[in-house]
Amino acid sequence: MSHDLYREQLLDHYHNPANYGVLEPADVDIEMDNPTCGDRIHLTARLDSEGHIAAVMFEGQGCVVSMAAASMLTEALVGKAPEEVNRMGLEDVEEMMGGVKLSMGRVKCAMLSLNATKQGLRDAGKLA
Amino acid sequence: MPLDVPAIRSQFPIFQREINGKRLVYLDSAASAQKPQVVIDAMVEVWSHSYANVHRGLYSLAEEATLAYEGARAKFARFINATDVGEIIHVRNATEGINLVAYSWGEEHIHEGDRIVITELEHHANLVPWQQLAKRKGAELAYIPVTDDGSLDLTVLPDLLEEGRTKVVACSVMSNVLGTLPPVSEIAAMAHAAGALVVMDGAQAAPHMPLDVQTLGADFMAFSGHKLCGPGVGVLWGRRELLESMPPFLYGGDMIVTVKRDDSKWNVLPHKFEAGTPPIAEVVGLGAAIDYLTAIGISNIQQHERRIIPYAMARLREIPEIRVLGPAPSERGAVVSFIMDGVHPHDIASVLDEEGICVRAGHHCAQPIHDRFCVPASARASFYIYNDEEDVDALVAALRKTVSLFARRQSTPR
Repeated sequence: MSHDLYREQLLDHYHNPANYGVLEPADVDIEMDNPTCGDRIHLTARLDSEGHIAAVMFEGQGCVVSMAAASMLTEALVGKAPEEVNRMGLEDVEEMMGGVKLSMGRVKCAMLSLNATKQGLRDAGKLA
Repeated sequence: MPLDVPAIRSQFPIFQREINGKRLVYLDSAASAQKPQVVIDAMVEVWSHSYANVHRGLYSLAEEATLAYEGARAKFARFINATDVGEIIHVRNATEGINLVAYSWGEEHIHEGDRIVITELEHHANLVPWQQLAKRKGAELAYIPVTDDGSLDLTVLPDLLEEGRTKVVACSVMSNVLGTLPPVSEIAAMAHAAGALVVMDGAQAAPHMPLDVQTLGADFMAFSGHKLCGPGVGVLWGRRELLESMPPFLYGGDMIVTVKRDDSKWNVLPHKFEAGTPPIAEVVGLGAAIDYLTAIGISNIQQHERRIIPYAMARLREIPEIRVLGPAPSERGAVVSFIMDGVHPHDIASVLDEEGICVRAGHHCAQPIHDRFCVPASARASFYIYNDEEDVDALVAALRKTVSLFARRQSTPR
């Protein structure tokens, strides 16, 4: 299992994350952390005229799983409606990460960026 | 006498299995220790041949169960040199023991404006109960700080004790993160001189060094069976006059002598604090674990670890990316927490897992001490009777592999 976590694709996203930084101005702006492991993410997103996600950026600190998931998510979310994002779950994140099966202990690392996006969309009034 | 580690390993069935096709290298005994066959057998024996509820039945099976259960209590008393078995309270774990004191003693004796003193290196088990008691009562919670080298800065203690507001000092006998061994007897003497009680968290220390409640100077001490190669039960020891003056913590069966419609009278010690049917086989299992460790010899275990720890720290120093937290090898118990440049502890633990090596990664239920050293988390290797230099070598080799796996490649702009 863990061997999968450290394959080239994920390590590459960890070392060279996509869309690293802060969008200004942004429609969604949220910070979230996993206090038990110290993973921390600041995620910003902009919506287009139809309310779909146009761009996402993140910055933060954490393990390979949390940072690679965030990096991949910034690419995967573009074009999605907030309701579509809200329907995404662990299986979608695992598939996005190349089909890894995450152990119990790593699920919350992988889900941090998606949970932050959902919370950010709710806070911005874009989700019921 | 040096420990025969291969022989000891062969007494633990778990070491017959492999992890990810590799030999199991278990370096997480500070979280929970593995169980030898004799402990497993002792519990199976109770369930197979001698099980009944204790203190109630008049039939011979119930008497057998009660004898085994109370026999274990006597072993716990001898283990910490308590002279009075009535002072030995069976609890779930050290956490419950400390909560018992914080609720039963604390609710009656801590008032607004009082002070509770703990230390920055406490496990959450010896921190949150006091923090919440202080909040409920409007009392002050003060911390003995930790120095950069991981020891306690006792220079602040006289000031904290001076005005007589401090009612209790709670301190771990060994830090589960840094391995620090605070001078608990010295702290106890200072606290007592100022009229404060002393609660010691012995959970981390009990497996590794002799604990003698006659000389440590504690008023209460708690420890957990699962760290002593036993099952999930624990012990709270307290001085009789304190326990007698305290109200029960939990109410129910076995802790009463009489129950009338409108009032009840409490049973004698230790039963006053043991409401409901206890974990009978587990208590007997912990008795077997203590027999097992006593036969090896707690002092021999301590000597064994005094050899492993300097070796482990010296070998970890060979890896420049690693920084070890806490005091010098001679000043610590058998835990080594460390961080690695640019690699999150979770990732260290996952790569090590691939090699069959179990380490803890996170804040080890001690967030304030991680805040103190400005790190969100660390990785921790802890050692016990079934670990030797070979395990340290496996750890160091796997950590080198982690370093090279994470060595930053040429940046390719995305």
